[in-house]
Amino acid sequence: MLPSARARARRPTGERGKTRWTEHLIGFLHTFGVGLVAIALLLIFGLSTPYFLSRANIDNILIQISIVGVAAIGETMVMLMGGIDLSIGSIILVSAVITGALTTNHGLGAWPAIGAGLLAATGIGLVNGIFIAGIGIEPIIVTLGTLIAAQGLGQAILANEGSWIQVTNPFFFSLATDQVLTLPAMAVVMLAFYALAAVLLRDTALGRHIYATGGNRRAARLAGIPIGRVVVATYALCGLCAGVAGMLEIAQLGIVSQNVGDGMQFNAITAVLVGGISLSGGKGRVEKTLLGVLIVGTITNYLTFRGVSAYYEQAITGGIILAAVFLDHATRRRAQ
Amino acid sequence: MSRPPWRLPRPPSLLAGADTYLLLSMLVAMIAIFGRLNGAWFTTATMVTAIEQNAPLAVISVAMTFSIIAGIIDLSPGAMIALTGVIIGLVNQHSHDMVLAVASGLGLAVGVSAIHGLLVVALDINPVIVTLAAYIWARGLATGLTGTGSITVDGPLISFINNTSLFGLGAPAYIVALAYGGGWYLLNRTVLGRYTFALGGDPRGARRAGIRVTRQIIFIFCLMGVAVAVAALIAVGQMASAQPLAASGLELDAIIAVIIGGTRLTGGEGSLIKTLVGVAFIAILNSGLSEQGLSDAYYALCKGIAILLALSVQTLARRAADRQAARGRNLRPEWASERMARVE
Repeated sequence: MLPSARARARRPTGERGKTRWTEHLIGFLHTFGVGLVAIALLLIFGLSTPYFLSRANIDNILIQISIVGVAAIGETMVMLMGGIDLSIGSIILVSAVITGALTTNHGLGAWPAIGAGLLAATGIGLVNGIFIAGIGIEPIIVTLGTLIAAQGLGQAILANEGSWIQVTNPFFFSLATDQVLTLPAMAVVMLAFYALAAVLLRDTALGRHIYATGGNRRAARLAGIPIGRVVVATYALCGLCAGVAGMLEIAQLGIVSQNVGDGMQFNAITAVLVGGISLSGGKGRVEKTLLGVLIVGTITNYLTFRGVSAYYEQAITGGIILAAVFLDHATRRRAQ
Repeated sequence: MSRPPWRLPRPPSLLAGADTYLLLSMLVAMIAIFGRLNGAWFTTATMVTAIEQNAPLAVISVAMTFSIIAGIIDLSPGAMIALTGVIIGLVNQHSHDMVLAVASGLGLAVGVSAIHGLLVVALDINPVIVTLAAYIWARGLATGLTGTGSITVDGPLISFINNTSLFGLGAPAYIVALAYGGGWYLLNRTVLGRYTFALGGDPRGARRAGIRVTRQIIFIFCLMGVAVAVAALIAVGQMASAQPLAASGLELDAIIAVIIGGTRLTGGEGSLIKTLVGVAFIAILNSGLSEQGLSDAYYALCKGIAILLALSVQTLARRAADRQAARGRNLRPEWASERMARVE
């Protein structure tokens, strides 16, 4: 159900007078809880370490979350539609390798190379969609298959170009260092894509069809929504987002190696779940994913700040997922 | 228009088991191709190695079959095998007591799985999310505890796993056989197995029929815990060390093996024999591809494509069978095939 409609339909009008303030509070927490958690974390971390809320560190966090942030947009759309995409990490690798190789080793300009990389990424997403909608294999299995195959493809191309590519194109360098409207350019790219995705999901036919397909597939089909095309388009869009994440990865690292994008699908899914979008689809907003990305990024940054090793950070991330899903569930059950 | 009541129902479609036969023939074709490509590959020794190397996968696949039949997807086993192995290694290092080490490993694996089951039941969280969290934290903890190094493990149990040999097969092969035998008995001849099917087929119906769904779900998770402990023991034994990066991606291979065998992800049906064929497919694919001297990159590319192809062939065959069965029931095929409904 769409956000505004949900707010109206939450409670029958006849009961409005009877609702207690605790129920209002829980409903409020369910709607704005993710945002409150994000603000609370920033405040607590900021008070405990003065440098944490400094301008430099905030820019740092924004740059760090921009890659997983863009990748999580695609994952959000797929999960809203009731699917799942596990192949994002490999798509990021393929697009980064293709763009990196074309600019550095084959002398192409930045924009044509980016176009080729994004095209390849969208193509892999399209393949996912065709296997899922056309042949009818479950999404989790198809995207596992493309996860393995695309990783092989990316590494094979990389092996032909020398085992790593140092990207010297000035465009990517400026993407990593420039400031736009006093924000880091990479963060601006991420925010722009969030704005686009929010409009797409709210105001276009495709966006509405994604919600409808995720909410009740049978009803959507009976209502005449071309589900096959919606599924293919959504996975293709998810591939495109992963491709953009690959471009940002080039900008941030300056080097394309075979570890690029490794495990990114799980970071993206974590962010989506922390944002409160359920695995069953049909409900949620892409803005909440941005908050989820921000929460996970803030915690990771703080742990690094405190000198916690990367492996224990990983262990804590697993705990964050459970906590987030638990909180969401606890408030949702009361809110209904 | 329904069939007159005195007519016997149509015999089941010939295509009904087609997906499993197709997989068997693809398996045979693959063995033939690998044998043609490299004459020295198809030997008894290669097959024995393939069985022993894939023993952890085979054991996990037994428990994964139970999970998927019950409609649960468990992403935790790979990371949990690593964590269990590390705990076995650490306890053994400090106490030099192999029995205590194995007991604590088993306790950890079953304990964590039981907690997964409780979270799924009590909080009604999707199993994929609960076990995805374990996929992430267990690997992180295993790597953190060892500081990315490996822990050497030795003792009588290790030499038992490596050096026992009966009729040319090592201990892991017999453990696998035992797991499949026990699993088959549990699934097809006991109440727990019946309830597993009931749970996956229709959870609400199962609850209304008086099945203790809570206990059943926790049982299925605990079964996975036991399988994880056994697989961890085999993995530690074969490498004579506990490695934090052991069995990475094993859960994905296990899910693929179960699905490729013909068990449906939607739950309610499936069999261990199908899973065994699926595991054989993955094992032969791994063994044959690594024998071709491919780089890791081309290995992954070929493996991914082979899996997608096999799945496509099977899914198309299954759809054809469904359509034929629907025609037998006088349903309009486009309503019955419900291809988008299955995508869920």
